Formats: sequence, C-alpha cells, structure tokens
Amino acid sequence: MSIFFKRKEKNPIRIADKKVHEWKYTTCGYCSTGCSIEVGLDIDGKAVASRGNANADVNRGKLCIKGIFEHELFEVAGRGDKPLMRNKPFEPWVKSDWDTTLDRMGSEIKRIQDTYGKDSFAIVSTGQLLTEEFYSLGKLARGCIGSNNYDGNTTLCMASAVSGYKRSFGSDGPPGCYEDFEHTDCLIAWGSNLPEQHPIIYWRLKEAMEKRKFPLIVVDPRVTMLAQFADIHLAVTPGTDLALMNSLMYVILDEGLEDRGYINAHTKGIEEVEACVKDYDPVSASKICGIDEDTIRHVARIYANAGAAMSIWTMGINQSTHGSDGVVGINSLNLITGNIGKPGGTSLSITGQCNAMGTREWSSCSGLPGYRYLENPADRKEIADFWGIDEEFFPKKRGLAETDIFPAIETGQIKGLWLVATNPMTSMPNTARIRKTLEKLDFLVIQDAYADVETTQYAHMFLPAAVWAEKEGCFTNTERRINIVRKVQEPIGDSKSDFWIFKELAKRFENGKKIHFPETPEGAFNEMRQLSKGEGRTLDISGMTHQKIEDSCGIQWPYTENDSVADEVAQGESGKASVKGSQRLYSDGKFQTKDGKANLIPLPFVNNNEVPCDEFPFWMNSGRVVEHFHTRTRTGKIGNLNKYSPTPYMEMNPDAAAELSVKHGSYVRIVSRRGDAVVMVQTTQRVARNAVFIPFHFYDCVNRVSLGLLDPHSRQPAFKQGSIRIEAVDQEMAGQLNVERRSY
Amino acid sequence: MNKPFTEFEDSSVTQLTVPFYDATQNTEGFNSAHKVISSQPDALKAAGNPSAGKPAVEIGLREDNMSGFQKTLRRYNPWFAARNYLDTLGTDNSDLDSTPRPIFDERSGERDYAKLNDSVVCDTNRYGTKIDMLNITDVELPVGRSMEINGNPSVGTNPNRNKQHGFHFTADNCIGCHACEAACSEKNDNPAHLAFRSVGYVEGGSYPDYKRMNISMACNHCDNPVCMKGCPTKAYTKHAEYGAVLQDPETCFGCGYCTWVCPYNAPQLDPVEGKVSKCNMCVDRLEVGLKPACVSACLGNALNFGVVENTPENREQIKTSIPGFPDPSITNPNIRFQQTKTMPNEMARTDSMPVKYHKQDDGTFRSVVDEKEGKAKSWNFARLSSRENPLVIFTLFTQASMGAFILLYLGNLLGIESFLAVKNSIIYLPLLTVLAGLQAVGLFLSTMHLGKPMRFYRGFNNLRYSPVSREALGVALFFTGLAVFTGLETLAFGLDYFELLSTESGAFIADLIVPVQHGTAVFAITTGLIGLYWMYRSYRIPARPFWDHGQVFTSFFGTLFSFGSLVVALLAIPTLLLTGESVGQLLQITTGLAAFGFIAEGLGLIKHANYLNTESGEGAAAHYVQQTTFGKSYSLRNALMAISALLLASVALFLSESAYGVAIAAIVAPAMLVSLLVGRCLFYILVIPTTMPGAFFWKNKGFEEHARDVGLADMPQVGVVPACHGH
Repeated sequence: MSIFFKRKEKNPIRIADKKVHEWKYTTCGYCSTGCSIEVGLDIDGKAVASRGNANADVNRGKLCIKGIFEHELFEVAGRGDKPLMRNKPFEPWVKSDWDTTLDRMGSEIKRIQDTYGKDSFAIVSTGQLLTEEFYSLGKLARGCIGSNNYDGNTTLCMASAVSGYKRSFGSDGPPGCYEDFEHTDCLIAWGSNLPEQHPIIYWRLKEAMEKRKFPLIVVDPRVTMLAQFADIHLAVTPGTDLALMNSLMYVILDEGLEDRGYINAHTKGIEEVEACVKDYDPVSASKICGIDEDTIRHVARIYANAGAAMSIWTMGINQSTHGSDGVVGINSLNLITGNIGKPGGTSLSITGQCNAMGTREWSSCSGLPGYRYLENPADRKEIADFWGIDEEFFPKKRGLAETDIFPAIETGQIKGLWLVATNPMTSMPNTARIRKTLEKLDFLVIQDAYADVETTQYAHMFLPAAVWAEKEGCFTNTERRINIVRKVQEPIGDSKSDFWIFKELAKRFENGKKIHFPETPEGAFNEMRQLSKGEGRTLDISGMTHQKIEDSCGIQWPYTENDSVADEVAQGESGKASVKGSQRLYSDGKFQTKDGKANLIPLPFVNNNEVPCDEFPFWMNSGRVVEHFHTRTRTGKIGNLNKYSPTPYMEMNPDAAAELSVKHGSYVRIVSRRGDAVVMVQTTQRVARNAVFIPFHFYDCVNRVSLGLLDPHSRQPAFKQGSIRIEAVDQEMAGQLNVERRSY
Repeated sequence: MNKPFTEFEDSSVTQLTVPFYDATQNTEGFNSAHKVISSQPDALKAAGNPSAGKPAVEIGLREDNMSGFQKTLRRYNPWFAARNYLDTLGTDNSDLDSTPRPIFDERSGERDYAKLNDSVVCDTNRYGTKIDMLNITDVELPVGRSMEINGNPSVGTNPNRNKQHGFHFTADNCIGCHACEAACSEKNDNPAHLAFRSVGYVEGGSYPDYKRMNISMACNHCDNPVCMKGCPTKAYTKHAEYGAVLQDPETCFGCGYCTWVCPYNAPQLDPVEGKVSKCNMCVDRLEVGLKPACVSACLGNALNFGVVENTPENREQIKTSIPGFPDPSITNPNIRFQQTKTMPNEMARTDSMPVKYHKQDDGTFRSVVDEKEGKAKSWNFARLSSRENPLVIFTLFTQASMGAFILLYLGNLLGIESFLAVKNSIIYLPLLTVLAGLQAVGLFLSTMHLGKPMRFYRGFNNLRYSPVSREALGVALFFTGLAVFTGLETLAFGLDYFELLSTESGAFIADLIVPVQHGTAVFAITTGLIGLYWMYRSYRIPARPFWDHGQVFTSFFGTLFSFGSLVVALLAIPTLLLTGESVGQLLQITTGLAAFGFIAEGLGLIKHANYLNTESGEGAAAHYVQQTTFGKSYSLRNALMAISALLLASVALFLSESAYGVAIAAIVAPAMLVSLLVGRCLFYILVIPTTMPGAFFWKNKGFEEHARDVGLADMPQVGVVPACHGH
C-alpha cells in the first residue's frame, strides 16, 4: 500500500531562514573556554544567528547552549543606554550625558580621596572585560586615580588558583592545555564539573577518551554527570580535599612511586612535604575525607604510575577556606610525579570568566601589568617610566582584595566604590552584610551593560557600557590562548565601550594628561606587547597582532617576536596563516622563582569549615548550571536558556526530604547563621543525605545564607562549604516571594 | 497494519497508483516540476547521479502514460482545485524564492562529526520495511527531485537522499547540556515555549551509587507516522527524501490531534500561534551532506544520525528502546539507541508525571505507576476545567443531540403513542430547535477550540486516514440533516398553522415533505452514527492508554442514550404535564433508555478500571491520578451514576405511572447532568500520554501549572505560556 499526497504546489517545505548576510568572527564572552564563534548578521546588520567556528582548535565548530544563543544578548531587556545620576540612592535616576557624568565622577573621586585619603575610593572590576580594557583600567586605577584598593571579582573565582600557582611556580599562568587530554594516561578532576560548567572542554576530553581510553577520576561530593561517568568517583567530605591530597602524596612517597629525578632537579622543599604528609597515612586521612584507605592507595598508584597524569580543578578547590593550599597540593602532586610541562602531564586550573586570565595578566589588580608586582621596585620603575609618571605614585605593596574592600566599606575606611561589570548583591557571600555595606557608601558608581543589575539599587551613578562584541579586543582563555573579540555591532543607545569610558575618565585626572591612552584597543595591545618582552618572561605576547590572532583563531602565550619570525619563515613555505604559540609552560623544568625551582610546600590541613551540627544539619554546596552565567544578567533574559532553570532550586536527598516531609517540587526555607532564603526542592540521590546543592546564579537566594570564610592566601570566599537547616514554609507565600524576587 | 507505506509530496510521479481524490495535481504543479528538474542537471551530475538530466523526460513520459480522462481529472477536478486553493488561504508565500542557491550555508573548515557518513546501507529495516524509499513507492524513481525548500529549486548532493534516515542516541553518553535543544531552537528560530527537541531524564539508585540517564528526543520520522494518519488537514507528508516526516504549519489548523497520537511528544502545538510545528530533520543540512544541527551540536557524543539500521562509528548497539522510551511497536520509529551501562532496577522521572520505569527480567524497562502524591483522595474540582472544555461540551452535546433526535424520530416512526403526543405538542418544534442548537453550539465550540478556527474547512482533507476527518464530516452532515429536518418540520407546521394544507400547492408541498423528511432523518441518523463511531475511534490512541479502551465506546454511545433521553424528557414531560396529557409511557421509555445508557457506561467504566489496574504505565498512572488527585470527584461521579441508573431503572420498571416516578426523575435529572459533566471532564484531564520523561522545570507539567498559578509564566523567558483563553 502506498499513499501519496501532493502538497507541493500548495505549501512547499519551509525551514526558518534567518537570511544571514555576513558572518563575523568573534570569541565567546561567557566562560573561559575561549570558543571562536561567528555571529550572523542580516542585511540590516542585526545579529540573528550564532555558530561555532570550525577552524578554531579550541571548540572545533562546537558551542555550548550559551554560545548558541549569544547573538540574542545584545537586545535583551535591561540594557543601559544613558548615563544616569542621582544624589541619593533613594532618589529617582536622572538621565545625563557622558561629559557631565564623567566630570562629576572625577570630581567625586577626588573629593573623597581629598577628604578621606587616596585609598578611600575603591575600584572592583571583573573578569568580563577585554584585555586591552583591563590594561587601560589598570593605567587609570594605578596610574591616575592612585587608589591601592583596586581589585577584580576574580577574587570570587580564580584567586586561589592564582595564589597557588604563584606559591608553587613563582608565577600565575596555567601550564597546560586542552590537547593534554590527548596525551594523558590518567586524569583527576578536582571539584570540576566540566559537562555543566565547561561543556566544550568536556567534549574535548570525551573526544580524547573515545580515541584512547584512560582512567578518569573525579573528586566531588556530588554525583555530577562527570562523577557518574568517572572510572573512580571520590565522593569526598566537603572541604577536606587537602587531607586527600596529602594522603595521595603519602602513598606515593611511602611506596617510592615519586619521580625523584624530577624532584631533585626542579623542585625544592620535598623534605618539609615528606614530613608533613607523614600525618596523612590513608587510615588517618580516610577518617577526615571520607574516602576509604584502599581507594586512596589505588588512586595514588594509578596517578603515580601513569606515563603522564594531569589534574584539572575548578571551584570545588578554589572556593574553600584552604583553596590556595588545595591548588598548591595539586601542583605538588604533579611536581613529585614529574607531571608538569609535559604532554598529558599538567596541573590545569579550569578558569571561570571569559577573561579572568586577561585581568590576572594585565589589569594591575594585584600589582602591575604583565605579572609585575608592586612589591618589586624594578617593576614599579619600569611601568612608571613606560607610562611616563613618577614611580612614587605607586604604592609599594598591594592593597585590599575585593573581599577585604567590602568590610573596609562596612567600617568606614572606604567611602566611594566603582563597580565595573560585577554584581556583588548577588555574587558575594552573606547578602545581608553586602546590603548593609553598600548602604554606607557616599558614592557608588556602577559601570555595566545592564542597568538592572541588582547592585544598582544602591548606586549614585550608572555608566552604560557596551557588551561583548559591541567592542573589540582580546580574551585569554584557560589554556593561555589569546583570542579576539571583533566588533559585531555598534553599542546600543548611548552606551560606550569600557575602553572608551576609561580613556575619557582618565582625562579628569592630573596623571591622565601625562599617560598616553591609545585611541584604539589595538593601540593598547601594542603597548602590552612592548611590556611583555623581557628575558625569562613567560607572559610574552610580543609576536602577536590582532590580525594574527584572528587568523589563528587564538594564539597561546608565550609567543615572542622570535617565534613570530620563525613562524613567518615556516609559513612562507607552507602558505598557512595560522600559528599556535606555546602549548605548555615549564617544559624545560625552569620555574618563575628566583632559583628556577618549583616550591614544594607542606600543607597541614586545618578543618575550619562550618561543618553541619545539630542546629544546622546540612552541608550547603553551591555552583553553576550550564544554562546560566553568573548572576543571570544575560542568561536570565534569554528564554531559550533561562527556561531550563527559571527559578531558584535546591537539590536535596529524597530520604532527608521524606524525613522532613518535604515534597519534590515544593518550596522550603533554608536557614543559616547569616540569614534565610526560599528555594524550590528538587529531590535527587545526586546529593548526600546530609547535603544540598543550590545554583548560585539567583538573586536573593543562596548567598543570603552562605558564609564565605576567606582563604588566608587568596582571600577567596569558601562559597561551597557551609551549613544550613531546612524549614517548612507556606507554599502560597513562598510562591509569591519567588515571583517578587525575580524581575528576570 | 505495519505494511510499509510512504507518501510523497510530489504525485507527479505517482499518479497511476493513486486514488483520484488524492492525486491532486494542477497544471502549475507540472510546470514547476519541469522547471525544477530542468534546472538541476548540473547539481545531479555533480552528485554522480546516473539519472542526471533524465527526470524531466521521465515525468513527461509518465504524464503520457495517463489516460486523457485521468489527466483531465487531475487538472480540472473542481473539488480539488477548490480545496487546494482554500488550503493556501492566509499563507504568505512572499518568503519563497525560486532562485537556485545553496540549500544550506556551509561553514568553512567543517569537521567530520557534522558530516553524514553512510558508505553501506541495509536493504530493509528490522520491521521489514525497505530502507530505500524508492523501493516502497511502487512507482518510477523520483530521483533528483528538488525538495523545494523555501522555494529553492536546487537539488541536494547527498548520495543517500532517498534512504530512510534516523537518529542514533547513545544514552550512556548524554550529559544533559541542552546543546542539541539550543542548536535546534536557534536554527528553527523557535521561541522559548516551543522546542522540537527536548532533553529530559530518569534517575535511580542511592547516593553515591546514583545514575541519571538523560534522554534527548525529537521526531523519530516513523515508518508508521501516526501523526500523518491522524492529521485531519493533511498537513503531514512522509517524504521519499530521507524518509522525513514533515509537517506544514501553514496547512495545519491547530487541532492538536497529532500531539495526541504521537507517543514521543514530537509535534508541538504552539498555543500562541495556534498551530503545530515539529522537527524537520534539518533536511536542508542533509541535502548538503551534513548531519542535523542537534547532532552536530552534541557535546557528549551521544546524538548521531545516519541511514537507519547503520551502527555509527565507535558504537556497538542499535537497540530500539531505553528506559523511558515508549513502546516502539506503535509507530516503528526511526531511532536507535546504545545503552550498555547497567541502570538501577528502578528509574524515576523528575517531572510530575506519576510514572517510573521498572527493569524486567529481560533487562528492558517498562513503565509503572509512581505514587508521587501519596494515597490521599482530593476533589480538585476547579482543575476539572481544562483547555479541553470545548471538547467536553462538543462530545456531550453531539451525543445528546443525536440520541434525542434518534429517539424522537424512531418513536414517531414506530408510532409510539407518547411520541406522537410529543410531536403534536407545542414543544416539538422547540425541542428540535434545541437539538439543532446543542449541535450548533458543540460544533462552534470545537471549531473555536482550533488554533486557527478560520481554517476549519480543512478538517475534511484526510478522510482516507484520519478518524478526526471522518468524525468531523459525520457530525457536520448530521447537523445538516437535523437542520434540514427541523426546517421541513417548521415548513409543515407552517402549512398546517396557516391552513394551507387545503390548498392544492400546500397539499402538494406537504406530500413532498414527508418522503424528503424521512430521507433527511435517515441521512442524519446514518451520518450521525458514523460520525459518532469515528468520534469514538479518534480516542483509540495507543499512545494514550487511558483512552485506548472500549470504555470510550460505551461512554459515547451510552451518553447517546442517557443524555439524549434526558434532553427529550426534560422538555417533553413538563409540557405534557402542563397540557394535562399522560406522561407515563414517555417517562418509562426515557428513564429506561437513560438507565440502559448509564448501565452500559457504568459497565464500561468497571471494565476500564479493571484494565487500568492490570495495565502498567501511563494508563495505570492516569487511574492513580483518578483515584487520588481527583479521587473524590471520581467517587462522586461513580456514585451519582450508579444511583441514577438504579433510580431510573426503578422508575422505568415500577413507578412510571405514579407521581413518585415523575418526582424521582426530577431529582435524578440534575444528578445525571453532574455525572455526565464530571465524567467527561475527567475523561479529558486524566489522560496521560506515553511521552518522554521531562526535566525538573522544562517539560514538567507540574512546574508549568505552578508557574501559571503564581505568575512566573508572565515572564516570557520562563518558557511557560501563561494561561490563555482563546488564541
């Protein structure tokens, strides 16, 4: 039997045609994977489509859910299109123009600094801007405004990695790359949930594992998809990974599995580490970290015996009270097994924000540009000379980190604050305290692409910034690859690129008339290239240009002028325009310490976690979901992302829920020593009976209860370990509250 | 019914095997076919197609094969010309462009993961259907035909373009990252509340021995596309190219029947636009040798695509099912799975559907009830009201109108005294008018229930396959017959009233009316019963086990008796009482028939409940909801039905001549109405389709309902359409 319908002459097959007229190259502005993306513009220049760039080595044509809809973020609700001013946060906003606004901003900063001292005006920036913008902001903050209380929100995400890298290797800079997946014989993921947080990196890992299977070990208190797919899942007790690391090192050293040759040649401090890990034999450690002794020994042996072994980590390590120590521990584990700087053997932090690396490298937040230190007189002099200012203008020591700036506002040492593309009302721990802190400011400026970031409720001034590919400049990704964001469309309304804002504001300051602020991002990039040159400097980008970066879909630093010349010679023969840069650091075993040796540092574990107790019996963990980014200022407004989690929820073990008569899909109130929040319960055996997990993206949610105890080295808050109790709540009221707390 | 069949969108090559009413082909179609084909030789040669350059001739030959009569029929059949014209009304074709151009805008440096790669193709699939679509058409090859995507006459270069393609899903690998869903929605420009592909999950085990299995699902382009057969408007086509089942939203009138019959929730009814749309297999990408957008976007290496029954590279299994996937025997879907990792014995759904999946001895999973809401019985009376309210009224009123009309007509035909009395009373014409009115209201509501009511006339397009088309035609013809009958009765009454019967012409007309009236009544009753039968058949949907039972028959035909008798009795008995005539016989007959209707329906319900208790899965889950969430409403309906049946039977048997009988009937009447209404509401709201598992927010009916209740749905980015009335 056949049936045939003739429909064609009536209505032919229709498939949505977005009528893309031109595809423009750019780099994704969400996480730090660094995917090359092409935005499709219609004939009117409106962004209508996104697709991955298939030539790019990073993503090889793939994009995650956020990148796939990235063209939609230009026109989402809440974009700021006019500078706004008001005398008091309780007054209505008055629209202004840029000249008036920046004049006022300059004069307010000077008034506050004149009245309360140079450091009484603080600047907190972000990991969202372009590197050239970070460099310019650093010039402005360090060279013109001169406040030492200048930091980035990277303190909330990558500060521990930075601190740990510096302590172990003498310098920041992740030493590995994604290609290491294709060479490794064993991978441990520490508190890193790639499928959710970095789906493209996960895909690279999956591709590598499908070609050549190697053991995947995942350390995570929650059964994430990665943990589920792992060959060994170590469901560690929250906040005890340091004990586990020490115990792994104990087994390796005890059983003689270490690479003694590498240790002797390239490290120092093994004796102290040996002495320290003596206390962490697998039997003792198992009682702390909850991983049985056999498994500890097994993992240690697999890792040490692998030809090449690598560790990756993300916030599970960084966001804890001993995050910096955790990073050092991972580095040490790799150092003693000789797994640094070799293919498949590395210690690779998986970074969060699109340009967390760029701010670490060039923003001068923690010192001076190009991994230079305020504490180093030669660095101060070099930069002062390069910028053309008096070196005495620089402080001789780094000022407060973001997490110390807020307490200083709370107690009155800081009176003015400039927030650039960051939203502490949602992102910082202990919302109640942040709210109280922000209320105390004489002058709060918010510079953001979105006028509706929650922190604007306490602002005196709003500067509308261009977003992502409305501007031009570079991002550095997790594997030190510098990729370029090309301008895809003009900034909306009267919004301006952050680059322009910094350049114009600089004119309001005395030093701003001395320091040259280039007119274009490329001009700034060329300054950075100059500053990146120098003997032994890893962060060398002198061989790169904006065009070369685009032609190569990103180049990994170091890439020196010499490398560039060599590549040009080679290309003359092959005709290829694309170059790679350096895939790994420290391949020669030389580190950025004075003697070139990596530091092995003993890491005694002090359990200062807020562990569950009778009153607050649940561990509270927080983290990302794949469809959202940070405080949802972008993703919360794009329906095809937001719909997968449009409202805050909490993963809770069904056995615990049954005991408390909490129903799947109902609301509960969670209470900690800081405050309370209302969330919808999703029961799942993914979390332990005494643990809950809450996505951190939502305003007035998890950070109302989080503690955020600070890491002593990195000053990064321990978002992921705290304790709460769970209480019943009137369902109707909770539903109403949920709606009221969400404008997007 | 699993014989292979295919339908093509282009009958220019198939006319000889096609019944005339389907082979609608106009001259324009031929011209465009010629134009298309003749513009193609280059593309075909490029594809190495041996028949390159020949198709135009082939089509010409085939037209020559036709008899002149066939040709004339095809070209000038006014019925099909008119229908085709009507079906294009309201369609904006300005977006179509007949300029030859690339079918898909390929990107530079495309990688292998996005490229189709089927070097070898099986002959038949596991169900015995030929994979080469050209083999199952019984006609000459439409090789080298353009798909005319957006009017583009170019022909794809894919060497396997006439092979049945399908998705392959490695459930072990899916990470639930939504990239496939996003890529699909980005490509098809879908708003947040609509998705051709969705990812849900099932989970099981205990921490830390916990397993989540994500399932990404779109359309399976089935061998037996129940959507296409069910669609009354013929909006669906199964194409000879790739075996793609494509749906045309511009033909669709938004009845949503395809969304009922599809076991996988593939067709998406957009309540905002009032029409259905669905996965189009990315045939534009396939034409240039690329896998669909979702597959190319997959980040877990879970989703793949190719000629069906081919095992993708690095994969070992091509299973037809995984936990959470409905019974493939319903449609023979073109999807294959790999799932090698051991799953816990019980896998739960996170959405509100009271269904979970239990491992059988053979390792496969079957759906069983998950008593998510405990055992407590509730009323939930307000929730009886649903989007399907118009259908509640339509079905009840149709059955009442038909039942009452048959009763009146047969009562008179058989010369039953009380019915003759009714006919001679003042209520007779109003009663007929009420019946026509009930049917008119029912038809109006069911039409307004369509997403695009103005396209109602397309409901008859698929009489060949769709029970809905047949139902619609039957009911419409019944209504026509009833209306004509009522008109003739009015005419006859008028002749009598104005004493025109004595005139020659009056008598002539009156004599003429009688046979016409009988003819009309027989016509109305016949078409009505046929319509009612197909109304019943419309609900025999394998993907909706709660409905797929003979109970629907006893309910619909039982209501014919119960509600039909009730309507007659409600109007006639008070009239006869007022005019002082005897009501005993009428009361006996109506209560007797009503009792019969209720007893039949009641027995059907008892059998249904037994069936639901033994059935596992979605039917049993619906029964669980019936006994808990709506437990008290359900009990009330059952009690009212049982008591009514008992009292009606008592009146019919013993009390029809007494005043008590009348009084009892008066009390029973409202109880009957409540029972009928509640019963029919339950029928619609309880049905649980065999859909794929949802996620916690997305595709979770429980969350959608909550979002509407509290107002979260008012934010469009929540992806839940707010409660909307009308369109």
